[in-house]
Amino acid sequence: MNKKKPVLAVVILLIIVAGCFACGFFVGKDPAYPDLKNCNQPPGKEFLFGTDPMGRDVFSMLWHGGQVSLFIGAVSTIVSTAVAMVFGTLSGCAPKWGDGLLMRLLEIFLSIPNLLAVIFLQAVLGKATVVSISFVIGITGWMSIAKVVRTKVRQLKNSGYVTASKCMGGGFFYILWKHLRPNFMPSIMFMVVMNVRNAIIAESTLSFMGLGLPVESISWGSMLSMAEDALLGNSWWMILFPGGFLLVTLFCITSIGDYLRKSGNQKPSNL
Amino acid sequence: MDGRNLMVHIGKRLMLFLLSVFVLSLFTFYISRLAPGDPLLSYYGDRVEKMSPEEREWAEEKLGLKDSISVQYFRWLEQAFQGDFGISYKYKMDAAAVVGSRIGNTVILGGIGYLLIFGLALLIGIGCAWKEESLWDRVVCKVGTLSSCIPEFWLSLVLILIFSVNLKLLPSSGAYDIGMEGDVRNRIRHLILPLTVVVAGHLWYYAYMVRNMLLEEVRADYVLLAKAKGMKKGQIMFRHCLRNILPAYLSVMAVSVPHILGGTYIVEMVFSYPGLGTLAYESARYKDYNLLMLMCLISGSLVILCNMAAQAIHEKIDARI
Repeated sequence: MNKKKPVLAVVILLIIVAGCFACGFFVGKDPAYPDLKNCNQPPGKEFLFGTDPMGRDVFSMLWHGGQVSLFIGAVSTIVSTAVAMVFGTLSGCAPKWGDGLLMRLLEIFLSIPNLLAVIFLQAVLGKATVVSISFVIGITGWMSIAKVVRTKVRQLKNSGYVTASKCMGGGFFYILWKHLRPNFMPSIMFMVVMNVRNAIIAESTLSFMGLGLPVESISWGSMLSMAEDALLGNSWWMILFPGGFLLVTLFCITSIGDYLRKSGNQKPSNL
Repeated sequence: MDGRNLMVHIGKRLMLFLLSVFVLSLFTFYISRLAPGDPLLSYYGDRVEKMSPEEREWAEEKLGLKDSISVQYFRWLEQAFQGDFGISYKYKMDAAAVVGSRIGNTVILGGIGYLLIFGLALLIGIGCAWKEESLWDRVVCKVGTLSSCIPEFWLSLVLILIFSVNLKLLPSSGAYDIGMEGDVRNRIRHLILPLTVVVAGHLWYYAYMVRNMLLEEVRADYVLLAKAKGMKKGQIMFRHCLRNILPAYLSVMAVSVPHILGGTYIVEMVFSYPGLGTLAYESARYKDYNLLMLMCLISGSLVILCNMAAQAIHEKIDARI
C-alpha cells in the first residue's frame, strides 16, 4: 500500500496558516472592536460570518484567533519535543539503574492526572497568557514521545559513530543533536505532528472549561468556549464557523501526520 | 517458576508499587500546597472575604493548615495509613465517603464505554483488515480521522443541541432524574449521550490500531502456508492472526483503563454527570486538599497497577517472548 502524498491537506493548511498570519492585509475590521449596535448579527453583507454577543466580527476574529491557536500548537509542541528528547536520551544513555529510575519517574508523571497538572501549573504561573498556556500544555504532554526516544536511543547508543564522537570529546547535547536526533526523528515525527493537533484541542478544551485564555483574547478555543451560550440563543454561526475552521485545520494536520507515520510493511498481503 | 520465586517476584512488584504511590503522593501534596489559592474558600465559601484576620487564623488552625508542609504531609500520611483520608472541605464529610458516593457513576459510564470501545474496535479493525483498501476500509479510516479531530466538549454540545434542545428525545444532564435512582431505564436514557461521546472520542484510535496490527500479521509467512494447506480465509484470520495480536491488544487494553476512566471528566462536566471527573476538577480548582489527595492516589494507583498488568500480560501470555 503506497501512501499518497497529502497534497491537498498541505495546500489547505498552508492557505490557513498564511491567511492567519497575513490577515492584516485582507481583513478590514478590528477583531476586538465591540460594535454594540450589531450584537449577535447573523452572517450578512457587512459581517460575513456574523457577530458574537459582544458585537465583534466573527470573520476577522477567526483569522486573528487562528494566529493564537496555531502559535500555541507550535510552541507547546516545541516544548514537549525538547523535553522528551532530553529526557528520553538521558534515560536511554544512562546505566541500567538510572534508566530504571527515570522510567519509574516517567510512570509517576504519567499517573498524575493531566487536568490536575494543568490546573496547578497554571495557578503557579499566574494569569493565563498565550505563552504560559503553550508552556503548560507542552510541559504536560511529552511523556509518550520520551518513551519512544528512549527505546530508540537504547538501540543507537552502542553504534560506532556515537562511540567515536564520545572519544573525540563530543558532549551530551552535541551527540544528542548531531548523531541521535537524525536517527530517532523519523520514529517520533508522527507523534510530534499529532502533538500539534492535541495542543490545539487542549487549548480549546481548557478555554471551554474556563481555564484557558480569557474571553478578551481571541483564539479558536476562546471563541468555541462561547458556544454553550450560542447554542441556547440558536446563533449557529458562532458554533459552525470556528468549529469548522478548527476541524479543517486539525484534519489537515492529522492527514499529514498519518502520512509521516512509518508505513510498516510495504509488501502485498498474504491473505 | 516455582512458588518461592513467584513470591519474591510479587513482593518486588508490590514494593515498587508502594514506592511509586509514595513518591506520587509526596509530589501532589507539595505541588498542591505550593500552588497559590485559598483552601478556606472551599470550606467557608464567600464568607472568607468578610473574615477578620483572627478568624482566619483560627480557621487555618482548625483545618491544620498552619504547620509547615512537611509536618502536614507526615500527619496526612499517618492518618492515611489508618484509613483516614481527612474531610473534604467543600462537602464537610469524609473524603472517602464523598468519593464513594460518586465512584459508581463514573465506573458505570467509563466501564460500559470501555467495553464498547474495545469490543467495537476489534470488530471494526477486523472488518478493515478483512479486505484492505476496500470501500469499508477507506470510509472507516476517513471518518475515523475526522472524528478524532472533533474536541469532545464540542461533540457533546452539538449532541445536546440536536437530541435534547431540538428533538427533546434525551435528557441533557445528570445521571438520573430526582427520586429515580434505582430506575434502570431512566439511567440508561441519561447514559446514551455521554456514552456516545466517550466511545466516539476513543473508538477510532483503537480500531485503527487493530487494523494495523492485523495488516502486519497477514503479511507473515505462516499465512501463506495456511493458505497453501487450504484453510479458509476466516479460519486463518480468526484462528491465527487474531490470536497472535491478542496479547498485544490485551496489554493495550490494560494500559488504557485509566486513560478512558480518567478521560471522562470533560464529558462529565458538559453533561453535569455526578462522577469522579467533576469532583477531581472541583477539588483541584478550589484547593480541597484532602479530596484532591485521595483522587490522585486513586487515579495514580490505577495507572501504575494497569501498567504492571500490561507488563505481566506481555510476559506471561505471549509464549513467544
